[in-house]
Amino acid sequence: MPALKKEVIKAEEGEIFDVELSKDILKANQVLAEGNKELLHKNGVQAVDIMGAIGSGKTSLIEKLVQQLKNKYRIAVFKGDLTTTIDAELIARHGVEAIAINTGKECHLDANLVKKALLKLDLKKIDLLFIENVGNLICPAEFPLGSDKRLVVVSVTEGPYMVVKHPFIFMDADVVAINKIDMAEAMGSDVGKLEKDVRTINPKAIVVTTNCRTGEGVDAVVKGLKL
Amino acid sequence: MHEFSVTSQIVQSVLAEAESRKAKKVSEVHLVIGELTFLGLEQVRFAYEVLTKGTILESSKLVIKTQKGAVKCDNCGYQGGFSYEDDPLYHLPVPTLKCPKCGNSVNVVAGKECTIKSIKMMV
Repeated sequence: MPALKKEVIKAEEGEIFDVELSKDILKANQVLAEGNKELLHKNGVQAVDIMGAIGSGKTSLIEKLVQQLKNKYRIAVFKGDLTTTIDAELIARHGVEAIAINTGKECHLDANLVKKALLKLDLKKIDLLFIENVGNLICPAEFPLGSDKRLVVVSVTEGPYMVVKHPFIFMDADVVAINKIDMAEAMGSDVGKLEKDVRTINPKAIVVTTNCRTGEGVDAVVKGLKL
Repeated sequence: MHEFSVTSQIVQSVLAEAESRKAKKVSEVHLVIGELTFLGLEQVRFAYEVLTKGTILESSKLVIKTQKGAVKCDNCGYQGGFSYEDDPLYHLPVPTLKCPKCGNSVNVVAGKECTIKSIKMMV
């Protein structure tokens, strides 16, 4: 083997050179999300991330899911909001552990916030985790959290074009719940059109229609999430 | 949507790289930003200008290449661009996860990245 030349190639003073970096800035969150998923799986916990606009009915749906599933699974809920513990308290009424994640001013949860919240849970004592994101149809799509399934809630009161106006979040969805179907007539909304829009953008997503006040359609959400 | 925080991470990464090579000045930074990210290029440029003030990156050239989104179909093997739903009502075509060849659902393989590709610096 030829001896190593003890000479290091150095750029001269004033020389310009190119450095190839290929560093992905958004990867940092993805790596943390993978870490969260690994930690959850190691402890036998499956996680569902719930996204949707402000007031679409995410918390109401979680309440109904908790009522229906709490005898089958040991459930915990992370509730993302800018501030307050109002919704976390609503969920805790059903006898499951609910942790409020207050983002302060951030418009979405990220993998790091979820990682911190996971430290507050005894993962050995749960098997199902619902993570409710901050109400927003844009930013959460950019920041995976480490969940197994992503559920998007869209309500008929948000207008007829909510799905086509936010295609990217629906591309990420495993299950889409079209909520407040009892209001469709009053709103002049076409539920069938919303369903068709989701199927066009993401043929893989399971689409269900719900009324989270009465619990109508919640069975289908459970089935869609394979819970 | 998160141009300022993302650009701040870009500037910090470039600074760290430049410092480790004892560079006196950074003249060019090349980025690749995916079509499916929520990063507005106009806002990235503005944030870059603000964040590099007073650093060795100040007045460097920011070159941004947009990476088109790409999908792969497990059913027919198609790999390439998205299919778009083009309804005149939507004004802009809406990208879909439907295979343009066979209509099955596809997986996204490119378009979600935000990468610092290369840096030109002076030592």
